Amino acid sequence: MSTTLAPTATPGAGPGRTSTAPEHARHASRAVSAAGVVRSEWIKLRSVRSSTTTLLATAGVMLLFGALAAAVGSGLLATPPDAGGPDGGPGGGGPTATVLAGSLLAPLVIGVLGVLTITSEYATGTIRSTMTFVPGRLPVLGAKVVVLTAVVLPVMVVATLATFFLGQLLLGAGDAPTAAIGDPGVLRAVLGTAAYLTGVALLGLALGTLLRSTAAAVSALVALVFLLPGLGGFLLPASWQEDVLVHLPSNAASSFTSVAQVPGALSPTGGALVFAAWVVIPLLLAAVALRRRAV
Amino acid sequence: MIELHGLTKRYGDKTVVDDLTFTVEPGVVTGFLGPNGAGKSTTMRMLVGLEAPDAGRATVNGRPYTEHAAPVHEIGVLLDAGARHPGRSARDHLLALAATHRIPASRVDEVIDVVGLTEVAGQRSGGFSLGMGQRLGIAGALLGDPAAVVLDEPVNGLDPEGIRWIRDLLRGLADEGRTVFVSSHLMSEMALTAEHLVVVGRGRLVADTSVADLVARSATSVRVRSPRAHELRSLLAQRDVVVTTGADGALEVTGLRMEEIGDRAAGAGLAVHELTLQQASLEEAYLELTADAVEYHGSTTRTPTTPAPERTAA
Repeated sequence: MSTTLAPTATPGAGPGRTSTAPEHARHASRAVSAAGVVRSEWIKLRSVRSSTTTLLATAGVMLLFGALAAAVGSGLLATPPDAGGPDGGPGGGGPTATVLAGSLLAPLVIGVLGVLTITSEYATGTIRSTMTFVPGRLPVLGAKVVVLTAVVLPVMVVATLATFFLGQLLLGAGDAPTAAIGDPGVLRAVLGTAAYLTGVALLGLALGTLLRSTAAAVSALVALVFLLPGLGGFLLPASWQEDVLVHLPSNAASSFTSVAQVPGALSPTGGALVFAAWVVIPLLLAAVALRRRAV
Repeated sequence: MIELHGLTKRYGDKTVVDDLTFTVEPGVVTGFLGPNGAGKSTTMRMLVGLEAPDAGRATVNGRPYTEHAAPVHEIGVLLDAGARHPGRSARDHLLALAATHRIPASRVDEVIDVVGLTEVAGQRSGGFSLGMGQRLGIAGALLGDPAAVVLDEPVNGLDPEGIRWIRDLLRGLADEGRTVFVSSHLMSEMALTAEHLVVVGRGRLVADTSVADLVARSATSVRVRSPRAHELRSLLAQRDVVVTTGADGALEVTGLRMEEIGDRAAGAGLAVHELTLQQASLEEAYLELTADAVEYHGSTTRTPTTPAPERTAA
C-alpha cells in the first residue's frame, strides 16, 4: 500500500508516469454544491450520539412535563397547597398552556443541540476541514440551518401534538376542563410551540457561530431566553419594561404559543414576527462573522 | 503547481509571514522547513483560504484556492491531525467531507484503505492514537484526488513504521506528478523525504533550494592535526581564513582548501598527522540558515538577502 491513488486514473495510464507531465490523470471531480453541503451536514448530525440524545430529551421533557402538569391540574396527583387551582394548573393559562408546560425547559435542551451543531466543530478543530472543503463558508451555515430545521421541526411537531393529546386525556380523566385541537387558537399554540423550539435551536446555532464556544453560546442563550425576561423587571426602569420585555424571544413567542392573550403582550402575528427577527438577525450576523473571520 | 507572490500576514505588530514568494513545483516533494513559529502553518492556512493575507496572493494552478469550483480537487490539505469529532467514526467523518463535492462512498473506502484504517473505520474515532489521527487526516487530504497535497507536520506522532510509510506515500504522490508540499521543523526528516527545500525563518524566505545544492554550499572546514600545531597555525593565518583549536589540540580551518593546507605544511617542513575534510551536515546547514534569518531580522544594518554561498570570516 505504499502507493497510492491510481484507481481513479484513466485505464490507459500505466504506472510509469513521466514527471514532465504537468498533471497526473485524474477523474473529473464535481464542484461543491448546495445539495452536497446539506448532505454533508446531515451526515454530521446523524453520526454523533449527542444529536439523538438532545432531540429525544427535548421531546421527553415536553411529554413528561405535560403529563405531570396535566395530572396535577386534573387532581390525579396531589396539588401542593399553594399551587394554582385545579382548573388552572401550573401556568394558569388554561388546559392548552397546562399541558405545554414543558416549553419552559425544553428550549434549553434543544438550544444546546443548535449550539453544538457548530461549536463542536470549533472545539474539535473539524471546522478547518469543513471550511477547506467549502471555502465559500456560507453554504455550511445555510446547510446547518436547513438540516437543523428539517430534523428538529418534524420531531417537535410530533412531540407537541403527542403532548397535547396525552395531556388532554389526563385532564379529562380527572374531570378538569380540557381543550380540543379544533378550539380557536389551540392548533396555533401547539404548532407554535414546535416552531418556537425550532427557532431556539436556530438561535443557538447563530450564537454558537458568533461565539465559537459551547460554554459561551449556551450561557448567552440561557441569558437571552430564560434570565432576561425575569431580570429585566429588576434592571430596567419601569417605563421601559413593557416595551422591552415583551420583545424578548421567549415573551414574543408566548404570544403565539398560548391560546389566551395576556394584556400588554404582542399579537400572535406581531410576536411571530419579533421572534423570527430573533432568529434571522443573529443568523445574518453569524454569516457576516463567518465570512470575515479567520477559521 | 502552487505559487506564492509576496504573501504577507500580520497579527497586530507582528509580521508572521513576511513577503513570501516562491513556487512549489509538481513532481517532487518540497519540504517547507523552519523553526517553530516561523510562519509555516499560517502560510499553509492562507494557501487554502482559512486566513486572508494582508498582502500578496497564493494560487493553485493559476487561481486562488477559494475560487476553484472543486477546491479539494486542487489541494488536499492536512493542517491539524487531531481534528475529528471523538464520537464520530472515521468513515462518517470522511463521508461528511466527501459529500460536499459529491465524492462517492467508494472513494472514501479507497482512501481509508490507502492509509490503512480499514479495520477501525467504523469505530468512534475518539480512541484513535495520534498516529491513527494523522492517517485519518491524510485520508481526508487524499479524498479529492488532489493535484497538490499540502501536509503540516505529517510525521508528528507516527512510529518509525508510520514515518517510513509517509515517506513512501509522499514520494509516490510526487511520482504521479502531483505537487507535494510538506512542512517540518526537523531537517533530518526532510533530508530523507524531500528533493527541494523552502526554508523560512521568522516569516521570511531564507532559502529556496534543492537538497543537493544546500549540501554543496553548506560550510566545510578542514581538520588538521600536527605535533607543531602552533607553528602551523601562524603559517595558515591570513585574511578570510579562520583557524580554531579544538579540545584535542587539532586545528579547524575554514577558508582554505585541504590541498593548500597540506602543501603549505609540506613547504615549511611541518609534519601533519591528520588532514580531514569536514562536511557540515544538513542539520548544521539548516541551523546556520535560520540563525542568519533571526539575526538579520533583528538588525537594521544588514540587507535581507539570502545568505551568500561562501562563508567568510567575520
